[in-house]
Amino acid sequence: MATYDNFFDTLGLRGWCGDDQGGGLSSMADLMGQAGGDTDTTLWDMPFPSLDALHDSCDAIPQSRDLTQGLEQGFLSVKDSLKVVVDPLTQPLSWALENALWIMQAVPWFIMIPLLMVITYAVGRSLKLVGLVALVFGFLAFIDFYDHTMQTLAIIFVCAFICVLLGVPIGIAMSRSDRVQRTMIPILDMLQTLPPFVYLIPLIFLFSVTEPKLYGIAIILYAIVPVVRLTDLGIRLVDQDVIEAADAFGMTNRQKLYKVQIPLALPNIMAGVNQTIMMSLAMVVIASLVSAPGLGVLVLRGIRSLELGVGLLSGLGIVLLAIILDRVTKAALARINASQK
Amino acid sequence: MTDDIKICVRNLYKIFGDDPQGALEKVRGGMSKADLQAETGHVLGLNNINVDMPAGKTTVIMGLSGSGKSTLIRHLNRLIDPTSGEVIMNGENILDYNERRLREMRKHEMSMVFQKFALLPHRTVLENAGISWEIEGKTRKKYAAEATKWLDRVGLQGQGDQYPAQLSGGMQQRVGIARALTSNSDVMLMDEAFSALDPLIRTDMQDLLIELQAELHKTVIFITHDLDEALKLADHLVILKDGFIVQQGEPQHILLNPNDPYIEAFVSDINRARVLRVRSVMEKTDVPPSDVAGEVDHDDTLESIIAVSGGDTTNNYRVMREGRQVGVLHMRDLVRALVPRHPGEAAE
Repeated sequence: MATYDNFFDTLGLRGWCGDDQGGGLSSMADLMGQAGGDTDTTLWDMPFPSLDALHDSCDAIPQSRDLTQGLEQGFLSVKDSLKVVVDPLTQPLSWALENALWIMQAVPWFIMIPLLMVITYAVGRSLKLVGLVALVFGFLAFIDFYDHTMQTLAIIFVCAFICVLLGVPIGIAMSRSDRVQRTMIPILDMLQTLPPFVYLIPLIFLFSVTEPKLYGIAIILYAIVPVVRLTDLGIRLVDQDVIEAADAFGMTNRQKLYKVQIPLALPNIMAGVNQTIMMSLAMVVIASLVSAPGLGVLVLRGIRSLELGVGLLSGLGIVLLAIILDRVTKAALARINASQK
Repeated sequence: MTDDIKICVRNLYKIFGDDPQGALEKVRGGMSKADLQAETGHVLGLNNINVDMPAGKTTVIMGLSGSGKSTLIRHLNRLIDPTSGEVIMNGENILDYNERRLREMRKHEMSMVFQKFALLPHRTVLENAGISWEIEGKTRKKYAAEATKWLDRVGLQGQGDQYPAQLSGGMQQRVGIARALTSNSDVMLMDEAFSALDPLIRTDMQDLLIELQAELHKTVIFITHDLDEALKLADHLVILKDGFIVQQGEPQHILLNPNDPYIEAFVSDINRARVLRVRSVMEKTDVPPSDVAGEVDHDDTLESIIAVSGGDTTNNYRVMREGRQVGVLHMRDLVRALVPRHPGEAAE
């Protein structure tokens, strides 16, 4: 006899529930109740009328397990049709990741490291920064983490690039229409607060674990938020007087966007890019759970087989990578700021 | 006046709110600004504005903050669209313009100078000055000569490669003026262009504008809250209060014949001797007076006459214009003109 029996009896729903009183013992609670012989529950012990508690009294009410199972069944039933749409759309991502991974590893180290130094100089115009880059990559290569580092870097480059490619236009659309902004903000909030493991789960159902786009999508979903938000914010913060002047001199909307709004929002957009790169680096480690190569694999190995040294060193490698990515993008940001002052 | 009229504003109303047309009916029915706001929550921005702005002259629109002067100037290039009314320039109602034609007008026929300069901070001074050409799709090479010419003209020789933030406020506004001049438009809208500047620099800029006007004869529409500035620059003065025109006309005339207590209060603080000219207080006659103390020009300020007369109030002067006598100035009239009169006893 369960707690809510009386409730259904008094409402006359017993027939609807469709069981005869005292029938087969179906739940552990029933067994316990029988064993204890004490069916009188005090008010103090009354359980919350949850799905499971109500199910004990009335079989017609589903258990909470049925709810989660229903969700799963629902997802599985739309999965195939979803795949037809999403698969070809995301195929270029797989292709880009595979190629980036291949190139970053195929180019020999004595070309790659100087190349990265040149890029650093071009972006940051600081020899100190170039020295730091040389030092970090030299160190990581010296301890035989070179391949893993390059894999991580390749994934970040591709994912951050796609984040900017998608995020900046979304941000611009948000800045131009309050309605778009209102619909996007809850989505962005959700992407930002959802634990990263959670959106790996449906992706695993959608794609095979061997496909790079699986982790690519996970990283992009996680990392795209700051660049979208800061693009929107940056454009909305552009001085209204300057916009008015642009109007007064007859600029078209397109000219206003490219000649005024984007250049003036660039410091904020670059701050967003910086955050996006940092977040994709954070996600790369989690993505190694679903076959993303790189330093994350080493971290995972450290955890799985309790190899403390490997875990610590690869963790340090990620920190070093984060530092140079952050410094280089911040140096670019500082140069943009300086040119506008 | 016999001048050509460049811009003609007719029955212009602007009401801010959710249902401006509904509110417009009430305003036309005679509802006041305060009642409209209390009853319907609508703000009456402009109330039945009619102004003729003479070509090649400076029209100054003066009013305190909230009087609607900035709203009014933004109707002339349609940064704000009116609730009702017409703005006619060169015989065309600009409110009928489509977006394309409107942009053409803003590029070639009207330029604007802003209170807060509103320069593009990421462009050099030269690129800012040439912005209207760049909007046309012209390259820097094509507009450099023209932009440099106007930058030189406003006193910014050799500053073309600086960024706006490297310049002082006064110099930034010179860039703003050069930007408006480089567009070669006939009409120049100036929205409190000098209000953000220091008093001394403001005087410099006013002199610069007067100098440019003497040379270029643009149709300038100038917004200000400063009566001294308005009297210094205006050929035609429009005084706004709470969205309607209190008085408009020749500035000297307004000063001598204020038709409203609001304007009287305004003009009472003015140094009249410095603003009023001989022609406004003289007796118009070409008969030479019997006892002449000397000759003065019709455009001299009363201040300079007082200095000439040495304070003797019995003198009479011949008033000359281009070598011909146009009137006689009695010092008694001059002294009387220095004291504000009430509208009831106004002469003329």
